[in-house]
Amino acid sequence: MIFKKIITIFALSFVLIGNANAKTEIEWLQWFAAENNRDFYEGLVAEFEAANPDISVKLVTQPFGKVRESIVTDYAVGVGSDVLGLNMPWTSGFLKSDILEPLDSYLSKESNSFKTEKLVQAPIGKINGKSWMVPLNAFPFVMHVNMDLVKKAGFSEPPSSWSELKEQAVAISNLGDGISGIGMPLSSQPPSNGPILTFLPLLYSNGGRIMDGTSPNFDNAKVVETLTFINDLQKSGAMAPGYGSRTGGVDLEEFIAGRSGFLISPGVHASAVATRNPDLNYDLVRVPTNGVNAYRVHGWELGIASSSKHKEEAWKFIDFLLSKDVNARVAKASRALPGNLESIDLVSAEATPVMKTQMNILSGDEPVEELRQAPSAVPSWSIMTEEMQSMLRGDQSPNEAASKVQSRWLDLIS
Amino acid sequence: MLKNISNNISNESIPYLFLLPCLLILGSLLSVPLYKVFEYSLYDNVIVQKDPTFVGLQNYQEILGDIAFWKATLNTIIFTVGSVIGHLIIGTGLALLVNTDINPKARTVFRSLLILPWILTAVVVAVNWQLLLNPFGIINYGLDKLGLINEPLDWLGDPSLAMWSLLLISTWRGYPFIMVSFLSGLQSVPKELYEAAELDGAGFFGKFWHVTIPQLKPVIYGVALLDLIWTFQLFPLVWLTTGGGPGRETEVLSTMTFRYAFVNFEFSKASTVAVSILIISAAFTIFYLRNEKNRI
Repeated sequence: MIFKKIITIFALSFVLIGNANAKTEIEWLQWFAAENNRDFYEGLVAEFEAANPDISVKLVTQPFGKVRESIVTDYAVGVGSDVLGLNMPWTSGFLKSDILEPLDSYLSKESNSFKTEKLVQAPIGKINGKSWMVPLNAFPFVMHVNMDLVKKAGFSEPPSSWSELKEQAVAISNLGDGISGIGMPLSSQPPSNGPILTFLPLLYSNGGRIMDGTSPNFDNAKVVETLTFINDLQKSGAMAPGYGSRTGGVDLEEFIAGRSGFLISPGVHASAVATRNPDLNYDLVRVPTNGVNAYRVHGWELGIASSSKHKEEAWKFIDFLLSKDVNARVAKASRALPGNLESIDLVSAEATPVMKTQMNILSGDEPVEELRQAPSAVPSWSIMTEEMQSMLRGDQSPNEAASKVQSRWLDLIS
Repeated sequence: MLKNISNNISNESIPYLFLLPCLLILGSLLSVPLYKVFEYSLYDNVIVQKDPTFVGLQNYQEILGDIAFWKATLNTIIFTVGSVIGHLIIGTGLALLVNTDINPKARTVFRSLLILPWILTAVVVAVNWQLLLNPFGIINYGLDKLGLINEPLDWLGDPSLAMWSLLLISTWRGYPFIMVSFLSGLQSVPKELYEAAELDGAGFFGKFWHVTIPQLKPVIYGVALLDLIWTFQLFPLVWLTTGGGPGRETEVLSTMTFRYAFVNFEFSKASTVAVSILIISAAFTIFYLRNEKNRI
């Protein structure tokens, strides 16, 4: 009798262990939970696991600056995550190394919870004839405004053109007491992405581009004109001192602390401003234009690692994140627009004025995304940073800076 | 006869058996990575390239012909030598101060406080100094209040100031090692020597020059060489403070290696620069080991 019981217990244990082993674990590497609410993302994972008891998701959160490096090194040693948080400018570098799985066959599945044509289109545009990522959310680059400083400097409305931006930024800097009109984050410190945070949005609002298809085209008249404007901001005293050591993070912190009048950065930073300094008299406007209403479109993307052994499960999780209700919640949590545009009604029902402004920019202005197809996009930021530093120091003209970036970028990819 | 030989062999092999775990650990943790780095440097690119092509010494030729490499080498020498000199001067001075006969409790407090920079991680040191040296930071504020500057200085973003600022930070971070080493050396200097020097009419500097320095000479040499080896390869402090900038004004060989690897994804070139660091560090290490051997 006892022997029978032991046998039964063993048999049950094996069945249970067998079931436990049948559960597939997928890993989700991202930085979203680091910038947002970790509990929110853990809640999403729990919700998915409850609906899919045969799949468990391991949430791996790293700071933004570390994720790109981790994806490459993980891939090299063969321990990569299954679902990857991605940034559009990383694409060409990752494609060179075959890190990403093409998503076309997954996007064409009838069982998907979303319609591909209803997704924000920039990230899914084909490169080498295939789609490589899908948008979790989307946001335009905007200008964040400290309205108290604008009013203190004698203006009633935020600037809408380059000339107004310069005039107001100079007036705000003249308030003194450590207050600056606008910051220019041109530190060489990694990720050294100041130019793509500030210079590119100004360039696009000037109707310019840095790419000609998939080739660098930095030494053109529009680029020079935009560099000249930035140089003028510096010479006229509108810019915060210390551009050479100012990181994007410091630029954001200075604005949140109320020491900068304007901050050109992703709209998603509205979340950081609202939560960290709710007393700031804050507004958000489109980047002042020089004739063109265009914005740099950005977002948090998702992809599948080519080395993943659980691609179907990984897609199932991505499909869950892009479903109408879940995607709307992700958008609200990150104070961004949903990657699935069918969710937009759910988001706009509770949208704040700041969010509504972003929606207007997204729906009315021209979206621009050049870095997804740019060769060696990330190293090219360092080159832009270095040459712009040199220009602002007065060591070279905007024309020379543009030419040097172009030749160094071409050297890099040759 | 055969039994004796067999016994001799087994007796002789016992020490090697004891060494085996150590050799295995060294072999797997040191030799394999070193070999791999050298091997990587002989290919066009690795890790991100599935089928690398063997290119021999081409990467070395390219790196040696690149002006950025020589600029980084010069910066590394300036940073290393400057840092070690700073560590020696500040470390020696503070070791002498905390070795004086004052209230034992106060002496313990000073010794504990002065060792703090050594305990802090590079990230904490970098962030703190970035705040201090910010154009709106306390250092610029103090200099402004003293009337020494008219406008805030960008200590870490101005090419003419960045390396000096980095040397200041490195000196602050690294002096405790020298201080602690010299302090133990100072405590072993016989007091009779100072008494004899005093009888001969030697003042503070006379005693320092003719008693302290000669007595500390072996410690100074060994510690300075060790510091030289460590500082030569220092990466986090530079990367987290200036990122090698502005421009490439503070780019050192270690940050150049990282830039090639994780910014440009050129892992073979990164390996090539890493091998050059290894060769120079190995030369310093041989000097150090010879010095230690002579001391023994």
